[in-house]
Amino acid sequence: MDILQYAWLIPLLPVLGFIIIGFFGGRMKEGGAPVAIIAAASACVLSIWVGIEILLRDLATPDEAFVMQTTWLQLTDDLTIEFGIYLDNLTAMMLIFVSILIFLIFVYSIGYMHEEGARKRRYYAEVCLFATGMFGLVVASNYLEMFIFWEIMGLCSYLLIGFWNHRPSAASAAKKAFLVTRVGDVMLMTGIIILFIEFGDLNYTHLFDRAIVDPSMGTLPWDNLQIAMLLIFGGAIGKSAQFPLHDWLPDAMEGPTTVSALIHAATMVKGGVYLVARSFPLYVQVPDVLLVIAIIGGVTAIFAASMALNNMNIKRVLAYSTISQLAYMMLALGAGGYAFYYLGYADGYSASTFHMFNHAFFKALLFLCAGSVIHAVGTEDMRKMGGLSRKMKVTSIAMLVAALSISGIPPFSGFWSKDEVLASVWNAAEANSMFYLLWALGAITAFMTAFYMFRLWFMTFAGEEGEACKHAHESPASMAGPLVVLAVFAFSSGFALFIGDGFLSRIFFGHAHDITSMELLGEIFTDWKTYLSVGLAVAGIVLAYYMYVKRSVNVDNVITSPGGAKVYKTLQQRYYFPQAFDGIGLKVIYPVAKVVDYFDKNGIDGIVNGVSGSITGFGRRLSKAQTGNVHNYAAVVIAGLSVILILAYLVGGL
Amino acid sequence: MFDYWLTMLILFPMLGAILAFMMGSRTNWARAIAVAFSAIPLVITLFLFTQFNMGGGMQFEEQYVWISTALGDKAFTIYWSLGVDGLSLPMVLLTTLVTFIAVVFSWDVSKRGSQYFALLLAMNAGVMGVFMSMDYFLFYIFWEFTLIPMFFLIAIWGGPRKAYSSIKFFIYTHVASLAMLLSIFALFFEASTGNFLMKDIAQVAPNIAKDLQLMIFAGLFIGFAVKMPVVPFHTWLPDAHVEAPTAGSVLLAAVMLKMGAYGLIRIALPNLPVAALEFQMFMFAIAAISIVYATFACLAQTDLKKMVAFSSVGHMGFVMLGIATLTPLGLTAASFQMFAHGLITAVLFMACGVIQHSAGTREIPLLGGLAQKMPNLSAFMMIGFMASLGLPSLVGFVSEFATFLATYQAFGMLVWVVLISVPLTAAYHLWAMQRSIFGPLTDKIDTSHLYDVHWYEAAALGTMCLLLLVFGVFPGLIWDYFSPYANELADLISSFASCMGVI
Repeated sequence: MDILQYAWLIPLLPVLGFIIIGFFGGRMKEGGAPVAIIAAASACVLSIWVGIEILLRDLATPDEAFVMQTTWLQLTDDLTIEFGIYLDNLTAMMLIFVSILIFLIFVYSIGYMHEEGARKRRYYAEVCLFATGMFGLVVASNYLEMFIFWEIMGLCSYLLIGFWNHRPSAASAAKKAFLVTRVGDVMLMTGIIILFIEFGDLNYTHLFDRAIVDPSMGTLPWDNLQIAMLLIFGGAIGKSAQFPLHDWLPDAMEGPTTVSALIHAATMVKGGVYLVARSFPLYVQVPDVLLVIAIIGGVTAIFAASMALNNMNIKRVLAYSTISQLAYMMLALGAGGYAFYYLGYADGYSASTFHMFNHAFFKALLFLCAGSVIHAVGTEDMRKMGGLSRKMKVTSIAMLVAALSISGIPPFSGFWSKDEVLASVWNAAEANSMFYLLWALGAITAFMTAFYMFRLWFMTFAGEEGEACKHAHESPASMAGPLVVLAVFAFSSGFALFIGDGFLSRIFFGHAHDITSMELLGEIFTDWKTYLSVGLAVAGIVLAYYMYVKRSVNVDNVITSPGGAKVYKTLQQRYYFPQAFDGIGLKVIYPVAKVVDYFDKNGIDGIVNGVSGSITGFGRRLSKAQTGNVHNYAAVVIAGLSVILILAYLVGGL
Repeated sequence: MFDYWLTMLILFPMLGAILAFMMGSRTNWARAIAVAFSAIPLVITLFLFTQFNMGGGMQFEEQYVWISTALGDKAFTIYWSLGVDGLSLPMVLLTTLVTFIAVVFSWDVSKRGSQYFALLLAMNAGVMGVFMSMDYFLFYIFWEFTLIPMFFLIAIWGGPRKAYSSIKFFIYTHVASLAMLLSIFALFFEASTGNFLMKDIAQVAPNIAKDLQLMIFAGLFIGFAVKMPVVPFHTWLPDAHVEAPTAGSVLLAAVMLKMGAYGLIRIALPNLPVAALEFQMFMFAIAAISIVYATFACLAQTDLKKMVAFSSVGHMGFVMLGIATLTPLGLTAASFQMFAHGLITAVLFMACGVIQHSAGTREIPLLGGLAQKMPNLSAFMMIGFMASLGLPSLVGFVSEFATFLATYQAFGMLVWVVLISVPLTAAYHLWAMQRSIFGPLTDKIDTSHLYDVHWYEAAALGTMCLLLLVFGVFPGLIWDYFSPYANELADLISSFASCMGVI
């Protein structure tokens, strides 16, 4: 039996869960949680099976995909939309980590959502639908199919951010998330439309074959390809919360922590990175776009990290951290593609996907640990926490593992991939020295990351007991269990670099980085840049230690100085992005809408009523027996006809 | 083989209307009659779908001489001529379906129930006639007939400004129809076929001289554009909707507006291809203005129903946009959008109706937190809103995507003019939901009597929401009916485009 033929079941299993829970969840235990977990577990088993099957194929055909398609809609004689599955090594890797995280977080939800009562049905139904969207995105075989699942995820994100929709802040955050990503989605949709019309097909196989066969084929409309790929990246910016469409993600923390962990850290927000990686055969044709991607990545990385430095909300720190880490992935993809175009190798592609793989585990773990803390202390404000490591051993150790991992301390997983990311950016500098600057941004971000992560850990777990921590206790087994499992992953997922032939020989673009594990280790540990980035990370941790545990470094002087206060406030106000978004909405768009409405009532309808009124008056004078309404409106229509004819003359050259 | 199916489709609702009217104060009886006589045409339509030969052109045709007379020395004949093809059959399905749903939704109508049901059925008969008529004279009669039941629905069961709105609706669209009638006469005389049969006139009309084509097209355009409606001829619509009872609004938006777009596709384009080509950029401009204008207008509305009414203007702008491309893709997309909008808007207006009944107001600033007391209504409303803003997997996305695709194909980067409406469309939908059903429960109105949907409201809304999903996931079910007609029409127009190139 060839299991690959059944891979289309992966997104279908959770949708069954969604339907069953949607209709009958109210009558089930825990609002249908068992159904959700069974659906997730079976999808997980199938995903891992399929994933391993793909990854273990003969190395001779590693970038060949398994494709199965059927016609969905015959738009016209020449334009057909197909539906199906497209399985290659990237898909396999995504399936494996996505399915594991979905399963673990569903299990964790039993404990975390236990007290939500009747709302639990809605929660489990919606997370099941989300799982469908995420699996569908990963296995989709063309851009439109991908886009449909992309939007289903967006809907679930909206619904789950607004899970406590009776809170105005949650309802508002949900709307913001949907609208800001919608701006990206419009760009993505336009990019897809351009690809469809210019290339006549949306199937990955077709588009990628055509691109790979002859990248310099003069007959293809490459200018349009450039625009299309830029627009598709616009979609990725929205979904992966990159600058300047990043501002929805911190607000998205209004949702339950499980949702933040699953959707807004581990899976959905990776959609943008996945999209760029998936479209890599097309992106490597358009180096200018790749440079844009790299710059957006580099800028976002440091920009988002800066806002995490002084935030007091435990989840928001993690949200900024997510944005910053996703930016690393974008940066590496941009660098890798650029290097591929000019230098012939794409190590950034492997680095980025590897970082995506590791990040999924340690960031989900960070969020679930934060959830465990919030569950225990009932607040998200870190100023009210402290000293929790004594009461919550499992959580504190798990979070420490995750923090070390994201900070890039060897041998934790984050170290390996972050090192690859920075190395790939450095390598691309050979083609364009701009990448030295981007590398420097990445290195500084590494320092900031270590600092804010340990600031978070120290404020939460070290020092004196915080005011909200009196009755804190360790979370139940259904929550602590997933933490332990994830901690193991967060520690060890980086070793994927050395398992078998190694990650780099499986997930790559162009040709494999042919290197043995020992050589790779040698390469890593003989490079001065490795020591620099580890040194920066350690420096960040030490600084956090002296500021938040020893308290021997006091930054109050800096903060209270006029310049420092301004910076501090700017960071706290998120560089005034929320105000800017509100301003666009309330001070630009809404007034325009009001003007249109006024014009409609008094302009257009004013003419209608005015003409009618004056002719009524005229008609009354003419004949008191008739109201003359028909004539009035006839006059209006004739006036309208004249307007149309004039317009037609102007526009159509009648 | 029984040959009178299409006549039955008109006669059954007409008969039902008469019977229901005669029930007087026995509302329950009238209701039973209405349910039965709106269900029968639905069943017949579904049966016709099974018998239909896709791509086989006009089918189930009936043709009888109705009036045979002479005008001066010229004899001419008017036929009772009916037929359906891939364009009209889905429209017939939409009409029978939405009428049935509207009847079920109106289960508990208290005021003059038998007349209410009678008018709904009469409306059904009239619209069916419009979609099935193959004779211009017959077409015009049905076209005008539909005004009468709608006028009374607004004038009797309407809100506070019902007199103003109903008269405005009647006269505005009626006068616009006169322009259409003049054009139909012009077609008739120019074709000099001696009858009003659409297929006979269509043989000759495309060769009419260009200048005359433009004038005839302009007249038809007025008639159809007011009906659709498009900006700037739309102001009758929000007023009519705000005052109309729910079932009236449903029929008005879901079915009656389609008559205008149907007229453009069925009559204006195939008869006057040269004029259509000349008017192409003009139609694009009108469509773009309608879409963007309506989107901004929606953002400013405080009455939920008025917002939904304006959203109809924007959605019909998409139909116009698809038509303006004059390509197979665009014309199919426009037809599909007609069908999709019919389903979506029915949900939206029914949701507004439930809120009006339950909360006693539709003013968004007075509402808030309804989801806590009306979870089912909120779910239905959200599905409708999501479909309306074009969420993939629901039916609205298919037509939206296809229309944009066709627009890029025909007009290139001009597509950006309409694309900016997409986030704003999402914005007004989400903002309205945020303020009406989410947030803390409102304290501005008495919320103690808030009730969630009644069973008949749930049945109507649930059925329609399910269909939004079904046709969103399997758009081919309807799309494939539209494409043959669109292909044929686009081929005809492009053959004239190449001729014009020579001139």
